[in-house]
Amino acid sequence: MQPLSIPTFQPRLKVLDRRQALAIHTAALEIIEKTGVKMEHEGARRMLVDAGARNFDQDWVRIPAYLAERALRTAPKQIMLFDQNGDKAMDLRDGNFFYGPGSDTTFTLDLESGQRRRCVLSDTGRFARLADALPNISFTMSMGNPQDVPRVEYIYLYTFAEMLRNTNKPIVFIADRLEDIALIHQLACLVAGGEDALRLRPFILNYSEAISPLRFPADVVDKLIFCAQKEIPICLPSGSNAGGGAPVTLAGAMALGIAENLVGLTIHQLAHPGAPFLFGPNVSVLDMQSTVVSYGCPEWSLTQAALADMRDELYGLPIWSFAGASDAKSVDAQAGAEAMFSIATAMLSRCNLIHDVGYLEYGNTSSLEMLTIADELVAMARHFTRGIPVNEGTLALDALARVKAAGAKGIFLTDDHTFDHFENALFLPQLLDRSRYDTWRADGERSLYQRSNDRARQLLAEHRLSPEMDPGLAAEISKRLDRL
Amino acid sequence: MNYEALSQAVIKGDMKQAELETQKALDGGGDPQSILDHGLIAAMDIVGEKFAQGLIFVPQMLRSAKTMQGCVARLKPQFQSGTITSKGKIVMGTVKGDLHDIGKNLVVMMLEGAGFEIVDLGVDVAPAAFVKAVAAEKARIVGMSALLSTTMPAMKETIEALKKGNQRGGVKVMIGGAPVTAQFATEIGADCYAPDAGSAVTEAKKLL
Repeated sequence: MQPLSIPTFQPRLKVLDRRQALAIHTAALEIIEKTGVKMEHEGARRMLVDAGARNFDQDWVRIPAYLAERALRTAPKQIMLFDQNGDKAMDLRDGNFFYGPGSDTTFTLDLESGQRRRCVLSDTGRFARLADALPNISFTMSMGNPQDVPRVEYIYLYTFAEMLRNTNKPIVFIADRLEDIALIHQLACLVAGGEDALRLRPFILNYSEAISPLRFPADVVDKLIFCAQKEIPICLPSGSNAGGGAPVTLAGAMALGIAENLVGLTIHQLAHPGAPFLFGPNVSVLDMQSTVVSYGCPEWSLTQAALADMRDELYGLPIWSFAGASDAKSVDAQAGAEAMFSIATAMLSRCNLIHDVGYLEYGNTSSLEMLTIADELVAMARHFTRGIPVNEGTLALDALARVKAAGAKGIFLTDDHTFDHFENALFLPQLLDRSRYDTWRADGERSLYQRSNDRARQLLAEHRLSPEMDPGLAAEISKRLDRL
Repeated sequence: MNYEALSQAVIKGDMKQAELETQKALDGGGDPQSILDHGLIAAMDIVGEKFAQGLIFVPQMLRSAKTMQGCVARLKPQFQSGTITSKGKIVMGTVKGDLHDIGKNLVVMMLEGAGFEIVDLGVDVAPAAFVKAVAAEKARIVGMSALLSTTMPAMKETIEALKKGNQRGGVKVMIGGAPVTAQFATEIGADCYAPDAGSAVTEAKKLL
């Protein structure tokens, strides 16, 4: 008889129980039903009122809870993002997790000089290419807010085109308003082979933001409705950061952020039921000394772990989250500690789309080295999260018997079992240093920062997209940008 | 006169006690300007110093500022209109196309706490509205905020509009916001850049 196979328990972090999740959800519903939101988009206001919401004080609306509950039911529980070759790339649902960079940093650490300097458009290209090369980075974002674009009002169109040229992985993009998101959508259609092809195999996801507390500017809602109609997956956090846009206590900040998300979702599903919506407020904290929104704090990891629990208990929608970022100004011990903390907890709590990997200085500076290091930290966390498979092969009693039989010369290192299993059984670091002291000295006593710099340079020099962008397509994209 | 008890109440952020001490000082014949300068603003200078040293946090500083505002409200009726001397008048706003105001509001509160008089124009403020307010209020500083890189050009437009409206000469321009840099401030001809609310106060003091 075959022995029964034992499923491997994969470590999972939970921070909320069902009663807590329900209480936060109930508070969020109370916010939209009793306090209401400032809906500055006339069309959305009309749509909400037609569906049963009440308009008051000019542009404020109170939204009955059942509208949000209905939207939660019509929104898909799974979002599949494809790569630019049309292959399945990110199955956003349940406990699946995917890491990638963030957007819009003002500065970057120069790969050559190590100095912090203003971002330029080619930095966005370098991040996209590095993201394409790194095995544990699943998508890209612009990372930079380049100062050298020909026309700043089309900044997001230029960064989008630059990402297209430098990666085949999915792209999470920002847009400023309806005009540029429509142009970005057209570029994406070119790549996918038409609007229907993009609808079937979306490789893009839009990130837009409402403004906490409770404010929905017209141009933001324009983008939301556009994405719904075109079935471009979108997420709409509002920056309900504890102590800033939201209450300083995390439960209250989450309730507000979720309320704002539910309002976005309700409009989105009224505009086009079944369109894909990635759930999730960004709930970090406003630092009480510097007033920066922290990217290295434990609270953000805690609120997104809580949101993952709410997904599992209540919502079922895939969620938006962050990790691999830091408030440190350079790639130092603080950067490593904060990046590892959020990477490990985001994975253990099963966040889905995890962005901002490679941020320094509370998201004001990006670092290619930081992204390269984070790639390894994701691999490290993944190894931990896989758990301990327990079966005849891994219990290895036969290997023990062989080693015992070999007598004094017996050692597992020479046994076939080790040869067969070590690559799966062990985490084999590429960047983290385990060399012997003398080797490390002889190698120039290089720090993790220096090693990751070497690795980033090497990957950028050697990595090729498979395939590189078709010259005809590249010419067409350039032509469209020149026409602006 | 000694305003030690008043100053301590402001530093602690004890609103009731501070207003009580303000009233006591007035009842005791204290000069309103002297109460303002030596009781309230002096206390806020200490609060600012403590904050700079990391001894207190933003909410504590803001509570002190709020406490001070309450006391100023008590003092105001005692001044002949126009005789109250603040550290200077500042026109503040988030620039055209930008609706973000948390950062701007924080700067406003800190500047008020430091004794400046603020005219807050709100968000999405057109260049012409800045020009009009600077002229009408005889402001000494105009402060502009932007969170989006796409709205940063509005800062330059506002400076141009101030020049065209013949208002640039008499006013200093201070800018800030997440994507804004010192280099950008230089490029567009602003007088200074403040990376956060605390330094906005320091810079404003330097400008005047």
